[in-house]
Amino acid sequence: MTTILDYGMGNLASVSWALDKLGMPNRISFEDGDLESADYLILPGVGSFREAMQNLRERGLYEAIRREVLEKGKPLLGICLGMQLLASYGEEDGGSAGLDLIPGEVLRFQEKGLRIPHTGWNELTGFEESWIGETGECDRNYYFIHTFHFVAREEADVAAWVDYGGPVVASVHKGNVYGTQFHPEKSQATGLKLLETFFKRCA
Amino acid sequence: MLKIRIIPVLTFNGLALVKTKQFANPRMVGNPVQAARVYNSRGVDELIFVDIFASRQQRKLNLPFVKQVLKECMIPLGVGGGIRDLDDVSAVMKAGADKVVLKTIAMEQPGFISAVARKYGEQAITIAVDAKRQEDGSYAVFHHSLPPKPIETFIREVEAAGAGELFVNSVDHDGMMGGFDIELYQQVSELSNLPLIACGGAGEPAHFATLFEGVRIEAAASASIYHFTQYTPDDIKRELYHRGFPVRLLSTVKKYD
Repeated sequence: MTTILDYGMGNLASVSWALDKLGMPNRISFEDGDLESADYLILPGVGSFREAMQNLRERGLYEAIRREVLEKGKPLLGICLGMQLLASYGEEDGGSAGLDLIPGEVLRFQEKGLRIPHTGWNELTGFEESWIGETGECDRNYYFIHTFHFVAREEADVAAWVDYGGPVVASVHKGNVYGTQFHPEKSQATGLKLLETFFKRCA
Repeated sequence: MLKIRIIPVLTFNGLALVKTKQFANPRMVGNPVQAARVYNSRGVDELIFVDIFASRQQRKLNLPFVKQVLKECMIPLGVGGGIRDLDDVSAVMKAGADKVVLKTIAMEQPGFISAVARKYGEQAITIAVDAKRQEDGSYAVFHHSLPPKPIETFIREVEAAGAGELFVNSVDHDGMMGGFDIELYQQVSELSNLPLIACGGAGEPAHFATLFEGVRIEAAASASIYHFTQYTPDDIKRELYHRGFPVRLLSTVKKYD
């Protein structure tokens, strides 16, 4: 059973429908019991880092997520803003602390001449030895749409890169914590294959 | 490297898929869900749905069909038509869409853009800039009932308010299938650093090559070419690929299926 974490932000429906396609039972919830009984956790997200962290705390999810992940070793996949929330800090709106599961900062794109947000299909690099490489041969374009990006403190935590005005972190992975900056649930067959890989790997 | 997006637009009148010519004379051209299914099976990059009469008919979007499309198709989707308040935005996002496409409310109340950006982020907001060439050669934003506004003014306003993308339609070239209005996009490209989508006038793959060769832009949308010719989005991308542009080809995606 997968619990898709509901903290009032994010495209929960699309993630649920993608999991339905994989035959993975799933529910959308923020109740403690639903986190405890889940085998996998997915943290989607779209919107403000600051508001997201506020919502997580208000729903008791900050402690619950950290407990499930750090004490019980439960697999967690963060998508888009969900991946960014795994960081230590996000500078948006004056700055706020993240879940601090993967050391790093979430900063705004700054490069001059770059169209911002980073919107569209872009190709991953440097993923061959990572969990992403486990999908086997496939097209490596995924759909990105974001204004801020994750700057990891440890290169070892970066699972894949993408080129946008320079190298940008496309995926992170540390132990049982995974993240994708792009939207696998919006990346058609290529994205579905990656979600399947996450579940196979963490089974 | 970021790939060029080739985006089919589905315009509907609340019930059926329609296609206009210079923003007038809509003809029925089919069923929107069926069209979306076909596009998805062809691995399109993204879709845009707009209910082009919702504002003037003062009604809301038909969301059950948006949901139906997204349940089947794991595809990025922008949805527009009569969106006026945060409840409307919430309904669209809950149906699984990635972006709201705003026009009337953006022209009347740019502050609304900021409210949406605060809640959903700038990337969730696409502003439709319907540009019509004026007698003096400049471009103004066209609306069926609001007075025209110079595009430079409108674009600066919406960008400052928190827009995440500009969907720039040429009213004059819409449905004419004689090529894009290159001059319009050259101007807009200089005015803004937001992602831009050119739309209006495509009739054959070569028109897209002319656009990308002449303008700093990374996305183009069209409709008539798919309704009235045999060309598919992949035909267009293959033309661009042969001209050296970065695109996501169906043959590469399907190779691994």
